[in-house]
Amino acid sequence: MVVGGREPQETEEGTWDDEEAAVGRAPAVRPFLLTAGRVSGGGAAAPIPIETQIVSTADGLSVLGKLAFEHHDIVAACRRPQSVAELAARLRLHLNVVRVLAEDLCAAGHLAIYVPHARAAQDISVLRRVINGLRAVPDSRGTLRDSG
Amino acid sequence: MVSVPSPTHGAHSATAVEQPPLPVKLVIAGGFGVGKTTTVGSISEIRPLTTEAAITEVAAGVDDLTHTPDKTTTTVAMDFGCITLDPTLKLYLFGTPGQDRFGFMWDDIVDGAVGALVIVDTRRLDDCYAAVDYFEHKRIPFAVAVNAFDGAVEHDLEEVRWALDIADHVPLTVFDARRTGSVRDALLVVLDVALSRAQAAAAS
Repeated sequence: MVVGGREPQETEEGTWDDEEAAVGRAPAVRPFLLTAGRVSGGGAAAPIPIETQIVSTADGLSVLGKLAFEHHDIVAACRRPQSVAELAARLRLHLNVVRVLAEDLCAAGHLAIYVPHARAAQDISVLRRVINGLRAVPDSRGTLRDSG
Repeated sequence: MVSVPSPTHGAHSATAVEQPPLPVKLVIAGGFGVGKTTTVGSISEIRPLTTEAAITEVAAGVDDLTHTPDKTTTTVAMDFGCITLDPTLKLYLFGTPGQDRFGFMWDDIVDGAVGALVIVDTRRLDDCYAAVDYFEHKRIPFAVAVNAFDGAVEHDLEEVRWALDIADHVPLTVFDARRTGSVRDALLVVLDVALSRAQAAAAS
């Protein structure tokens, strides 16, 4: 990864300095190293939609202790199904990093990825269910939860 | 039948520990500071989350997006929330990042959405032109909702429609982004557009 004779330590120091300058931002550099520079959607396949549901597999949870860093965090978080967007927000990772890592973990059998059917948004029965569900939302609600 | 999702990636997918709900996505658009995050927070069952999304910026008008070679991809913060409508159906509300003085493409956020609500602040009508154009162009069902800050709307709705050049078939409504019931009703206007369009497509 280091080009042009720079010492690895210098690269890392620069990285962490940059990160501290961006207050409240997720550490974005290590995940991009983890994806080996790959970004989602770069190949022939379109990136998975942001609402795509991700769920851990029994296999993934059984090897959880052997997984490191983001791989571990993603499989652990996906005990409960959640969208790519929620996962990125909760783990403070870039959306496209989550996409790449999730597809890797899926290929390894640790996660299941449920890409929504492209036509679901125009499906009359789905739309009716959304309308009925929304109509049941009361005029006012209580305190918001911090996680879904 | 699309309501029962099945895993589409990976050989081991069938062993998922829990069946996920069908996700449905609705986009909340409008200019900067118009009340998108307030809208999401008023009806979401979780505090709105923020993630970084990639959008494509273009340095020209939105009309010629597809012909403009001068595009750059930018990472922007995007707020979103969700509502579990029933155990097998979850509605996600994604706020588009507000961007000034640029055309933009929210395709990553918008593709596959059931529809969009474009929020308007009548004090800054210009801010929502781009969103209205975008959804017309993308043929995404949408409605326009004037956010009645402090309960007051400074313009007559027909004036707003005229000023924004909103087509007659696009619903225009007034709502209060801070009130759950009001946000719910505005979203239902969008869903009505989406349902009508789906029914028309099925009938043809």
